[in-house]
Amino acid sequence: MQVSNTIDCNGLSPAPTLLRIMQALVGREDSASPLNVLVGADCNCERLADSLGELAEEVQLASDAKQFARIN
Amino acid sequence: MLEDPADESSETPSPYENDPERPDFAFDPDDPWTQTFQEGLSRANLEGKTVYEVGVGTGINVAFILRNCGAKRVYGSDLDPRLVVLAERNIKSLSPEHAKHFEPVHGSVSLVDTDEAREKVAKTDVVIACIPQVGEPGDERLTAFREAQSIELAEGAGDEAEDHIAHYYPWSLFDEYPYNSVGLGLNEALMRRIREHAPKAELVMNFGCRIGTEIICECFEANGYKTEKIASKIVLQHAGTDISFFVTLEKALSGTGLEKQLVCKFYADPEGKQPLSATKAQQMINADPNVPLYHEVAVIRGVPV
Repeated sequence: MQVSNTIDCNGLSPAPTLLRIMQALVGREDSASPLNVLVGADCNCERLADSLGELAEEVQLASDAKQFARIN
Repeated sequence: MLEDPADESSETPSPYENDPERPDFAFDPDDPWTQTFQEGLSRANLEGKTVYEVGVGTGINVAFILRNCGAKRVYGSDLDPRLVVLAERNIKSLSPEHAKHFEPVHGSVSLVDTDEAREKVAKTDVVIACIPQVGEPGDERLTAFREAQSIELAEGAGDEAEDHIAHYYPWSLFDEYPYNSVGLGLNEALMRRIREHAPKAELVMNFGCRIGTEIICECFEANGYKTEKIASKIVLQHAGTDISFFVTLEKALSGTGLEKQLVCKFYADPEGKQPLSATKAQQMINADPNVPLYHEVAVIRGVPV
Protein backbone atom coordinates (compact mmCIF):
# COMPACT_ATOMS: atom_id res chain seq x y z
CA MET A 1 0.00 0.00 0.00
CA GLN A 2 1.45 3.38 -0.99
CA VAL A 3 1.80 5.95 1.77
CA SER A 4 0.80 9.56 1.26
CA ASN A 5 3.72 11.95 0.98
CA THR A 6 2.25 14.08 3.75
CA ILE A 7 1.36 12.76 7.19
CA ASP A 8 -0.50 14.55 9.93
CA CYS A 9 1.15 14.38 13.35
CA ASN A 10 -0.61 17.43 14.72
CA GLY A 11 -1.63 16.85 18.33
CA LEU A 12 0.70 13.92 18.88
CA SER A 13 3.31 14.02 21.62
CA PRO A 14 6.94 13.41 20.57
CA ALA A 15 7.12 9.60 20.96
CA PRO A 16 4.06 8.72 18.82
CA THR A 17 5.12 11.43 16.35
CA LEU A 18 8.47 9.74 15.91
CA LEU A 19 6.84 6.33 15.53
CA ARG A 20 4.40 7.68 12.94
CA ILE A 21 7.25 9.13 10.89
CA MET A 22 9.22 5.88 11.08
CA GLN A 23 6.16 3.86 10.03
CA ALA A 24 5.50 6.18 7.09
CA LEU A 25 9.11 6.03 5.90
CA VAL A 26 9.04 2.23 5.92
CA GLY A 27 5.89 2.20 3.79
CA ARG A 28 7.08 4.59 1.10
CA GLU A 29 7.78 3.35 -2.39
CA ASP A 30 9.01 6.69 -3.72
CA SER A 31 11.75 7.99 -1.49
CA ALA A 32 13.03 10.52 -4.00
CA SER A 33 11.11 13.39 -2.42
CA PRO A 34 11.03 14.08 1.32
CA LEU A 35 8.16 12.99 3.50
CA ASN A 36 6.13 16.02 4.58
CA VAL A 37 5.28 15.88 8.27
CA LEU A 38 2.67 18.22 9.66
CA VAL A 39 3.37 18.86 13.34
CA GLY A 40 1.76 21.03 15.99
CA ALA A 41 2.89 24.62 16.50
CA ASP A 42 4.37 23.59 19.87
CA CYS A 43 6.54 20.83 18.38
CA ASN A 44 10.23 21.07 19.17
CA CYS A 45 11.35 20.30 15.61
CA GLU A 46 15.04 20.47 16.45
CA ARG A 47 14.69 17.82 19.15
CA LEU A 48 12.51 15.70 16.90
CA ALA A 49 15.14 15.89 14.16
CA ASP A 50 17.77 14.80 16.69
CA SER A 51 15.62 11.81 17.63
CA LEU A 52 15.18 10.91 13.97
CA GLY A 53 18.94 10.81 13.44
CA GLU A 54 19.81 9.98 9.83
CA LEU A 55 16.13 9.67 8.96
CA ALA A 56 15.79 13.44 9.47
CA GLU A 57 17.24 13.89 5.98
CA GLU A 58 14.19 12.17 4.52
CA VAL A 59 11.56 14.39 6.12
CA GLN A 60 10.36 17.99 6.04
CA LEU A 61 8.75 19.18 9.28
CA ALA A 62 6.27 22.05 9.22
CA SER A 63 3.45 23.30 11.41
CA ASP A 64 1.46 24.69 8.49
CA ALA A 65 0.65 22.61 5.41
CA LYS A 66 1.16 25.72 3.24
CA GLN A 67 4.84 25.61 4.12
CA PHE A 68 5.23 22.34 2.22
CA ALA A 69 4.28 24.02 -1.02
CA ARG A 70 7.00 26.59 -0.46
CA ILE A 71 9.57 23.95 0.47
CA ASN A 72 8.88 21.53 -2.40
CA MET B 1 -2.44 -16.34 18.47
CA LEU B 2 -5.45 -14.25 19.29
CA GLU B 3 -5.70 -11.77 22.07
CA ASP B 4 -8.23 -13.69 24.07
CA PRO B 5 -8.39 -13.38 27.83
CA ALA B 6 -11.25 -15.86 27.96
CA ASP B 7 -9.28 -18.28 30.11
CA GLU B 8 -9.59 -15.84 32.97
CA SER B 9 -13.30 -16.60 33.32
CA SER B 10 -15.18 -15.02 36.17
CA GLU B 11 -16.28 -16.99 39.16
CA THR B 12 -19.14 -14.54 39.65
CA PRO B 13 -22.47 -16.27 39.03
CA SER B 14 -24.47 -15.03 36.07
CA PRO B 15 -27.19 -12.52 37.04
CA TYR B 16 -29.42 -13.92 34.28
CA GLU B 17 -31.72 -16.91 34.32
CA ASN B 18 -30.47 -17.99 30.91
CA ASP B 19 -26.91 -18.09 29.63
CA PRO B 20 -26.16 -16.02 26.53
CA GLU B 21 -25.39 -17.83 23.30
CA ARG B 22 -21.71 -17.46 22.50
CA PRO B 23 -20.64 -19.00 19.19
CA ASP B 24 -16.96 -19.05 18.22
CA PHE B 25 -17.27 -15.88 16.15
CA ALA B 26 -18.26 -13.80 19.20
CA PHE B 27 -16.07 -12.33 21.94
CA ASP B 28 -16.51 -14.26 25.19
CA PRO B 29 -19.03 -12.37 27.36
CA ASP B 30 -17.65 -13.86 30.61
CA ASP B 31 -14.09 -12.58 30.37
CA PRO B 32 -12.58 -9.91 32.67
CA TRP B 33 -12.62 -7.33 29.89
CA THR B 34 -16.43 -7.46 29.89
CA GLN B 35 -16.54 -7.40 33.69
CA THR B 36 -14.40 -4.26 33.73
CA PHE B 37 -16.43 -2.65 30.98
CA GLN B 38 -19.67 -3.30 32.83
CA GLU B 39 -18.17 -1.93 36.04
CA GLY B 40 -17.43 1.27 34.11
CA LEU B 41 -20.85 1.31 32.48
CA SER B 42 -22.48 1.08 35.90
CA ARG B 43 -20.59 4.29 36.86
CA ALA B 44 -21.32 6.16 33.64
CA ASN B 45 -24.67 7.68 34.69
CA LEU B 46 -26.63 5.97 31.94
CA GLU B 47 -30.04 6.16 33.65
CA GLY B 48 -32.63 7.60 31.30
CA LYS B 49 -30.02 8.00 28.54
CA THR B 50 -30.01 6.87 24.95
CA VAL B 51 -26.91 4.78 24.31
CA TYR B 52 -25.29 3.45 21.11
CA GLU B 53 -22.95 0.47 21.34
CA VAL B 54 -20.42 0.22 18.52
CA GLY B 55 -19.51 -3.46 18.28
CA VAL B 56 -22.50 -4.97 20.02
CA GLY B 57 -21.07 -8.51 20.05
CA THR B 58 -23.24 -11.00 21.93
CA GLY B 59 -25.49 -8.22 23.26
CA ILE B 60 -24.43 -8.84 26.86
CA ASN B 61 -23.60 -5.15 27.45
CA VAL B 62 -26.91 -4.02 25.95
CA ALA B 63 -28.78 -6.33 28.32
CA PHE B 64 -26.66 -5.01 31.19
CA ILE B 65 -27.23 -1.32 30.57
CA LEU B 66 -30.95 -1.75 29.96
CA ARG B 67 -31.45 -3.91 33.00
CA ASN B 68 -28.84 -2.65 35.48
CA CYS B 69 -28.07 0.92 34.44
CA GLY B 70 -31.56 2.15 33.56
CA ALA B 71 -30.77 3.26 30.03
CA LYS B 72 -33.89 4.43 28.19
CA ARG B 73 -32.97 3.10 24.77
CA VAL B 74 -29.99 1.33 23.24
CA TYR B 75 -28.92 1.21 19.61
CA GLY B 76 -26.27 -1.23 18.50
CA SER B 77 -24.37 -2.35 15.44
CA ASP B 78 -21.43 -4.57 14.58
CA LEU B 79 -19.00 -5.15 11.76
CA ASP B 80 -20.02 -8.82 11.79
CA PRO B 81 -23.68 -8.88 10.70
CA ARG B 82 -24.27 -12.20 12.45
CA LEU B 83 -23.63 -10.60 15.80
CA VAL B 84 -26.49 -8.10 15.70
CA VAL B 85 -28.92 -10.96 15.09
CA LEU B 86 -27.31 -12.91 17.93
CA ALA B 87 -27.49 -9.84 20.20
CA GLU B 88 -31.22 -9.45 19.54
CA ARG B 89 -31.76 -13.09 20.41
CA ASN B 90 -29.65 -12.92 23.56
CA ILE B 91 -31.31 -9.75 24.83
CA LYS B 92 -34.75 -11.32 24.37
CA SER B 93 -33.53 -14.33 26.31
CA LEU B 94 -31.59 -12.51 29.06
CA SER B 95 -33.86 -9.59 29.73
CA PRO B 96 -37.16 -10.03 27.85
CA GLU B 97 -38.85 -7.13 29.63
CA HIS B 98 -36.26 -4.72 28.17
CA ALA B 99 -35.90 -6.20 24.70
CA LYS B 100 -38.22 -3.67 23.10
CA HIS B 101 -35.83 -0.88 24.08
CA PHE B 102 -33.03 -2.28 21.92
CA GLU B 103 -32.96 -1.02 18.33
CA PRO B 104 -30.35 -2.86 16.28
CA VAL B 105 -28.77 -1.53 13.12
CA HIS B 106 -28.62 -4.58 10.89
CA GLY B 107 -25.95 -5.46 8.36
CA SER B 108 -22.21 -5.01 8.50
CA VAL B 109 -21.48 -1.62 10.04
CA SER B 110 -17.90 -0.41 10.37
CA LEU B 111 -17.88 2.08 13.27
CA VAL B 112 -21.03 4.14 12.48
CA ASP B 113 -20.48 4.27 8.73
CA THR B 114 -24.01 3.77 7.39
CA ASP B 115 -26.84 6.28 7.04
CA GLU B 116 -28.98 4.43 9.59
CA ALA B 117 -26.14 4.24 12.09
CA ARG B 118 -25.33 7.94 11.69
CA GLU B 119 -29.01 8.84 12.07
CA LYS B 120 -29.23 6.86 15.31
CA VAL B 121 -25.93 8.05 16.73
CA ALA B 122 -27.09 11.63 16.20
CA LYS B 123 -29.90 10.91 18.69
CA THR B 124 -27.54 9.36 21.24
CA ASP B 125 -26.39 10.69 24.62
CA VAL B 126 -23.58 8.19 25.20
CA VAL B 127 -21.61 6.04 22.75
CA ILE B 128 -19.95 2.95 24.18
CA ALA B 129 -17.37 0.72 22.53
CA CYS B 130 -14.64 -1.83 23.06
CA ILE B 131 -12.95 -2.17 19.68
CA PRO B 132 -9.58 -3.56 18.55
CA GLN B 133 -6.29 -1.86 19.36
CA VAL B 134 -3.98 -4.22 17.51
CA GLY B 135 -3.41 -4.16 13.77
CA GLU B 136 -3.88 -7.34 11.79
CA PRO B 137 -0.64 -9.33 12.09
CA GLY B 138 -0.62 -9.84 8.31
CA ASP B 139 -1.00 -6.13 7.50
CA GLU B 140 1.60 -5.38 4.84
CA ARG B 141 2.86 -2.09 6.24
CA LEU B 142 2.72 -3.20 9.85
CA THR B 143 4.76 -6.24 8.85
CA ALA B 144 7.30 -4.01 7.10
CA PHE B 145 7.61 -1.82 10.21
CA ARG B 146 7.99 -4.83 12.48
CA GLU B 147 10.60 -6.38 10.19
CA ALA B 148 12.49 -3.08 10.04
CA GLN B 149 12.91 -3.42 13.80
CA SER B 150 13.92 -7.09 13.44
CA ILE B 151 10.98 -8.23 15.59
CA GLU B 152 9.42 -11.61 14.90
CA LEU B 153 5.73 -12.41 15.03
CA ALA B 154 4.80 -15.06 17.61
CA GLU B 155 4.14 -18.51 16.21
CA GLY B 156 0.51 -18.78 15.10
CA ALA B 157 -0.13 -15.04 15.40
CA GLY B 158 -1.00 -14.79 11.72
CA ASP B 159 -3.70 -17.47 11.90
CA GLU B 160 -7.24 -16.20 11.51
CA ALA B 161 -9.70 -17.60 14.02
CA GLU B 162 -13.48 -17.25 13.78
CA ASP B 163 -13.54 -14.12 15.93
CA HIS B 164 -10.57 -12.45 14.17
CA ILE B 165 -12.35 -9.13 13.54
CA ALA B 166 -13.23 -8.83 17.23
CA HIS B 167 -9.52 -8.58 18.04
CA TYR B 168 -7.67 -7.00 15.11
CA TYR B 169 -8.24 -4.09 12.75
CA PRO B 170 -6.89 -3.34 9.26
CA TRP B 171 -4.08 -1.07 10.42
CA SER B 172 -3.10 0.52 7.11
CA LEU B 173 -6.68 1.56 6.36
CA PHE B 174 -6.70 3.78 9.44
CA ASP B 175 -3.34 5.44 8.89
CA GLU B 176 -4.87 8.86 8.31
CA TYR B 177 -5.49 8.95 12.08
CA PRO B 178 -2.35 10.07 13.93
CA TYR B 179 -2.77 7.73 16.92
CA ASN B 180 -2.73 4.77 14.57
CA SER B 181 1.01 4.85 15.22
CA VAL B 182 0.35 3.31 18.65
CA GLY B 183 -2.59 1.08 17.69
CA LEU B 184 -5.38 3.55 18.41
CA GLY B 185 -6.33 4.36 14.81
CA LEU B 186 -9.68 2.58 14.88
CA ASN B 187 -10.56 4.13 18.23
CA GLU B 188 -9.53 7.59 17.03
CA ALA B 189 -11.61 7.14 13.88
CA LEU B 190 -14.63 6.46 16.09
CA MET B 191 -13.91 9.53 18.24
CA ARG B 192 -13.83 11.73 15.14
CA ARG B 193 -17.06 10.30 13.77
CA ILE B 194 -18.84 10.87 17.07
CA ARG B 195 -17.53 14.43 17.26
CA GLU B 196 -18.94 15.01 13.79
CA HIS B 197 -22.34 13.31 14.09
CA ALA B 198 -23.07 13.57 17.83
CA PRO B 199 -20.93 16.44 19.11
CA LYS B 200 -22.58 16.49 22.54
CA ALA B 201 -22.41 12.74 23.13
CA GLU B 202 -20.11 11.27 25.74
CA LEU B 203 -17.87 8.34 24.93
CA VAL B 204 -17.36 5.39 27.29
CA MET B 205 -14.70 3.08 25.91
CA ASN B 206 -12.97 -0.02 27.21
CA PHE B 207 -9.24 -0.40 26.55
CA GLY B 208 -6.46 -2.84 27.07
CA CYS B 209 -3.87 -0.46 28.50
CA ARG B 210 -0.64 -2.12 27.44
CA ILE B 211 0.20 1.06 25.56
CA GLY B 212 -0.44 3.05 28.77
CA THR B 213 -3.51 4.98 29.86
CA GLU B 214 -1.63 8.26 29.45
CA ILE B 215 -1.42 7.96 25.68
CA ILE B 216 -5.02 6.72 25.45
CA CYS B 217 -6.15 9.82 27.34
CA GLU B 218 -3.91 11.94 25.10
CA CYS B 219 -5.78 10.55 22.09
CA PHE B 220 -9.14 11.53 23.61
CA GLU B 221 -7.88 15.00 24.45
CA ALA B 222 -6.43 15.55 20.98
CA ASN B 223 -9.92 14.81 19.64
CA GLY B 224 -11.75 17.21 21.94
CA TYR B 225 -12.68 15.12 24.98
CA LYS B 226 -11.70 15.52 28.59
CA THR B 227 -11.12 12.16 30.22
CA GLU B 228 -11.84 10.25 33.37
CA LYS B 229 -10.88 6.67 34.18
CA ILE B 230 -14.03 5.13 35.66
CA ALA B 231 -13.02 1.48 36.04
CA SER B 232 -9.79 -0.49 36.03
CA LYS B 233 -8.70 -4.08 36.52
CA ILE B 234 -5.42 -5.96 36.18
CA VAL B 235 -6.12 -9.04 34.06
CA LEU B 236 -4.14 -12.10 33.15
CA GLN B 237 -2.97 -12.10 29.57
CA HIS B 238 -3.85 -15.26 27.71
CA ALA B 239 -0.79 -17.46 27.24
CA GLY B 240 0.34 -17.28 23.64
CA THR B 241 -0.89 -13.74 22.99
CA ASP B 242 1.33 -12.02 20.45
CA ILE B 243 2.81 -8.79 21.87
CA SER B 244 5.18 -8.10 18.97
CA PHE B 245 3.44 -4.80 18.13
CA PHE B 246 4.33 -3.36 21.53
CA VAL B 247 7.87 -4.73 21.41
CA THR B 248 8.27 -3.15 17.97
CA LEU B 249 7.21 0.27 19.27
CA GLU B 250 9.72 0.10 22.11
CA LYS B 251 12.50 -1.10 19.82
CA ALA B 252 11.80 1.69 17.32
CA LEU B 253 12.18 4.29 20.07
CA SER B 254 15.37 2.75 21.39
CA GLY B 255 18.29 5.16 21.07
CA THR B 256 16.14 8.13 20.07
CA GLY B 257 16.10 9.84 23.46
CA LEU B 258 12.35 9.34 23.63
CA GLU B 259 12.41 5.81 25.06
CA LYS B 260 11.06 6.88 28.42
CA GLN B 261 8.14 8.73 26.90
CA LEU B 262 6.46 5.55 25.76
CA VAL B 263 7.03 2.39 27.76
CA CYS B 264 4.40 -0.29 27.40
CA LYS B 265 2.81 -1.53 30.60
CA PHE B 266 2.77 -5.18 31.49
CA TYR B 267 2.97 -6.62 34.98
CA ALA B 268 4.55 -9.68 36.54
CA ASP B 269 1.92 -9.88 39.26
CA PRO B 270 -1.90 -9.81 39.44
CA GLU B 271 -1.81 -6.74 41.70
CA GLY B 272 -0.03 -4.67 39.07
CA LYS B 273 2.84 -3.74 41.39
CA GLN B 274 5.70 -5.16 39.32
CA PRO B 275 5.72 -3.31 35.99
CA LEU B 276 7.40 -4.76 32.93
CA SER B 277 8.16 -3.21 29.57
CA ALA B 278 6.98 -5.09 26.48
CA THR B 279 10.60 -5.94 25.76
CA LYS B 280 11.06 -7.51 29.17
CA ALA B 281 7.67 -9.27 28.94
CA GLN B 282 8.72 -10.73 25.57
CA GLN B 283 11.98 -12.00 27.07
CA MET B 284 10.00 -13.76 29.79
CA ILE B 285 7.65 -15.30 27.19
CA ASN B 286 10.64 -16.48 25.17
CA ALA B 287 12.04 -18.20 28.26
CA ASP B 288 8.67 -19.70 29.24
CA PRO B 289 5.70 -19.40 26.87
CA ASN B 290 3.32 -20.09 29.76
CA VAL B 291 4.67 -17.43 32.10
CA PRO B 292 1.78 -15.48 33.66
CA LEU B 293 1.76 -11.86 32.53
CA TYR B 294 -0.79 -9.21 33.36
CA HIS B 295 -1.97 -5.89 32.02
CA GLU B 296 -4.53 -3.27 32.86
CA VAL B 297 -7.97 -3.04 31.30
CA ALA B 298 -9.61 0.34 31.90
CA VAL B 299 -12.80 2.16 31.03
CA ILE B 300 -12.25 5.75 29.96
CA ARG B 301 -15.06 8.24 29.78
CA GLY B 302 -14.64 11.11 27.34
CA VAL B 303 -16.77 14.19 27.80
CA PRO B 304 -16.79 16.61 24.86
CA VAL B 305 -15.09 19.88 25.70
